[in-house]
Amino acid sequence: MEESPLHPFELHNYVPISLGGLDISINKAVLIMWVVVALIALLMVMAGSARKLVPGKLQSLAEMLVDFIRGIILDTMGEGGMKFFPLIATLFLFILFCNLIGLIPGSYTVTSQIVVTAVFATVVYALSLVMGFVLHGAKFLGILVPPGTPGWLLPLMIPIELISQLARPISLAVRLFANMTAGHVILGVLFGLAISGGLLIGWLPFAFTIAMNGLEVGIAFIQAYIFTVLTCVYLGDAFHLHGHDEHAH
Amino acid sequence: MPPPQDPIYAGLGQAVRIGTELLAALIVGGGLGWAADTYLLGSAPWGLIVGLLFGAAAGVRNAYKAAQRWQDSSGRTDK
Repeated sequence: MEESPLHPFELHNYVPISLGGLDISINKAVLIMWVVVALIALLMVMAGSARKLVPGKLQSLAEMLVDFIRGIILDTMGEGGMKFFPLIATLFLFILFCNLIGLIPGSYTVTSQIVVTAVFATVVYALSLVMGFVLHGAKFLGILVPPGTPGWLLPLMIPIELISQLARPISLAVRLFANMTAGHVILGVLFGLAISGGLLIGWLPFAFTIAMNGLEVGIAFIQAYIFTVLTCVYLGDAFHLHGHDEHAH
Repeated sequence: MPPPQDPIYAGLGQAVRIGTELLAALIVGGGLGWAADTYLLGSAPWGLIVGLLFGAAAGVRNAYKAAQRWQDSSGRTDK
């Protein structure tokens, strides 16, 4: 049984739709995204319906998630960042559930498509830019000059900082995409080995498949967490220009 | 939500993060240099070379910042 390890990333169009030459068919990824949204909504609505003082299992899970996201925001942005809580919680839960649901065999990892992660990263970065310019006006361009740079270094530092700023959305998108894709390729290769190895030796790669799946659960959490933390960090950078010097002027 | 607090997972996350930080800056630097070469200046290899150099510098700077931030957050200030 020969199967490409890239097979799990194929998108099967279920309902082909074309809008003015634009392919907006309903494929596996779209379907899984709907499932993820439905799952999150169901979880949160069911957890929120009881509202007991002593929470049940579901309610404490939801409370733990909310508290966890709140902790990230307070750590990176401070109290002022709480107004972004809806955005950040949505991002975190969506990415986390997409990552986790992709580990179910036969399902699809939406976050292994760079289009999806790139859209998230672009939205986050664009928001941080807009917010920076709204809050600080032209002074926001000062983000290109690290504090304490001597004048003669400016021609060198401004291009470097410009590139390092532009690299932010790309590193955000590539990191999530690459991690999810790489994990699933490894799983695919190992599972292919297990099947072609037969009973005699195939149990060995199969055992590794199980171990890798466990590791992938951890990676799914980590990647969702890192994406969320970096979102907060980037928004926070635009929020208070140059760390905490907003008290200085 | 224990994984991020787990030192092994936190370290793994940081390693992956800093790796992509280097890569992304190189892509942007090289890409900008290449674009300047092809569409603006026509100075064939030089834009790409300079862009890659700046990209490498920006990548190292990003990685440095990421490592520094991690050190701050984990409370280890052994300078």
